[in-house]
Amino acid sequence: MSKSLIELKNVTMKFGGVTALSDVTFDVKEKEILGLIGPNGAGKTTVFNVITGVYQITSGEIIFDGKSLAGVKRYKITKRGVARTFQNIRLWGDMTALENVMTAADTHKKSGLVSGLFGFPISRREEKRDKARAQELLDFIGIGEYSDRLAKNLPYGVQRRLEIARAMGAEPKLLLLDEPAAGFNPAEKVELAATIRKIRDAGYTVLLIEHDMSLVMKVSDRVVVLDFGQKIADDSPRNVQDDKRVIEAYLGVPEDAS
Amino acid sequence: MINLRDKGAEIWENQGRVGRIVIAVCAIAIVAALPFMGGTFLNTPVADYESVLVYPIAMFVLMAIGLNIVIGKSGLLDLGYVAFFAIGAYTMGLLGTKTGLNTWEILPIGIAMAMFSGIILGVPALKLRGDYLAIITLGFGEIVRIVALNLGALGRSEGIQGIPTPPGIFGIEYAFDSHRIYYWTLLILILLAIWMVRRLSARRAGRAWESIRQDEDAAELLGVPTFKYKVWAFVLGASVGGAAGVIYASKTLFIAPDNFTLQISILILACVVFGGMGNIWGVILGAVILGYLPDRIRFLSEARLLVFGLVLVIMMNLRPDGILPRKKREKAIVKKDAS
Repeated sequence: MSKSLIELKNVTMKFGGVTALSDVTFDVKEKEILGLIGPNGAGKTTVFNVITGVYQITSGEIIFDGKSLAGVKRYKITKRGVARTFQNIRLWGDMTALENVMTAADTHKKSGLVSGLFGFPISRREEKRDKARAQELLDFIGIGEYSDRLAKNLPYGVQRRLEIARAMGAEPKLLLLDEPAAGFNPAEKVELAATIRKIRDAGYTVLLIEHDMSLVMKVSDRVVVLDFGQKIADDSPRNVQDDKRVIEAYLGVPEDAS
Repeated sequence: MINLRDKGAEIWENQGRVGRIVIAVCAIAIVAALPFMGGTFLNTPVADYESVLVYPIAMFVLMAIGLNIVIGKSGLLDLGYVAFFAIGAYTMGLLGTKTGLNTWEILPIGIAMAMFSGIILGVPALKLRGDYLAIITLGFGEIVRIVALNLGALGRSEGIQGIPTPPGIFGIEYAFDSHRIYYWTLLILILLAIWMVRRLSARRAGRAWESIRQDEDAAELLGVPTFKYKVWAFVLGASVGGAAGVIYASKTLFIAPDNFTLQISILILACVVFGGMGNIWGVILGAVILGYLPDRIRFLSEARLLVFGLVLVIMMNLRPDGILPRKKREKAIVKKDAS
């Protein structure tokens, strides 16, 4: 068994009287694709938000790459190696696809504003390197020909893919994908599944939230199921599909059984 | 309405390196020659053409470029920009009358003072967003003016008088009424500011500001140190305002708190919005028009602000993004391959 990249230990997240996550414990192993599923409102996106530092957890601990993420600033969490996409697309519309990726890549630059202003060699070198890398990433995701187009003018499917490319621009170890297949047709979903596997093969670890069961079951190495903020299953895709509690969570309890 | 912005950008993009240098040199030469192209019909009722070129026009252009970094590039609504102008001017006034330093020595000090106050204001204020930030900056602008009004060392409502003119450099003498010389001095500062903004826009800082303006949360979650770049935007905006203030003080020779009212902040903001937020050429055009217009129509006396307001309302209805809006079009992909 390979080692854990990120561990959530007894994570609880309360908003006033509402408990969004209750004592959730699971981990993501290195180079693994972990599917995170559950009915609407189960707390999937909340998991993303606590990992990326949008919310500070009420109790518990999140260990990333051997170090706690408690109190770490959001952009520094990204710098350490966690990047995400958004369920509702949140690209920078007035920037080109390439600039979107480069902006995320800037997080690892050594040169800042002053060396950029005076055109120090390091700034020029990094700029050139990142531009090439950003283009490579767009090609990798399969949207290379759109690099000079403004993000807001791109077709929906390309925007979704650009979200992934942008997150990868930040050179994450852990890539959080929040419903990347939302609104995709079956053919696009098949293509996306191949892309996600390709991303893992390139050395990334993927935590995937997705509603499309066939996609999740096809690409995931392991699946964690949340229901009402609690973890109810953590197993291989095969076993999760047969799990009684998971079926209950999705379909409800049959009347004669209760 | 034809899209001036795109026409201009297209001509520029289609030029090689030599062509661009030729265009830039010609443009600078024409702008530098403006003081000689005046006609009496351009005179305003209160001042002649040449002095109007210096203040308000060139001064407004410089400040609008500075404010554009804060509002147009980073999307931070700053309603107290006049404070940095005042800080630059008072630094010049105080050091110019109390010490032996001359304008050129005070200029970097004034810029540093403005930048420092940008940090003082920015660090607490930039934790807030939108309307709350606007209110705080509005307050800051007023605080600076009221401090100047009440502090004995700053001359209270009398202000500071007898500020020295800049000493001559390279055999050029700065006399009180040699408007051309001041105009060219400001032109150099404007060119420096344009260079700075264009340079930064194409690099990391520009992308960071752009991402903050469009979606600050997404920016932070994708690794942009948003707070740091917001403070930078404030500080650089302040530095331009401070530089404008130093030159202003050594041009007018007399400053008082009345020169630094909220009205100036609003007017500079109007220049930025009217011209086209985020597009430096739009902002410059906006500042030229809004600097000139109110003085030109002074013959209308009391009705002048009414007409001014009416022009603003009509224009903003016709072109809500300003006269020359920010980049909207995309570079043709073909062109990139060709170059």
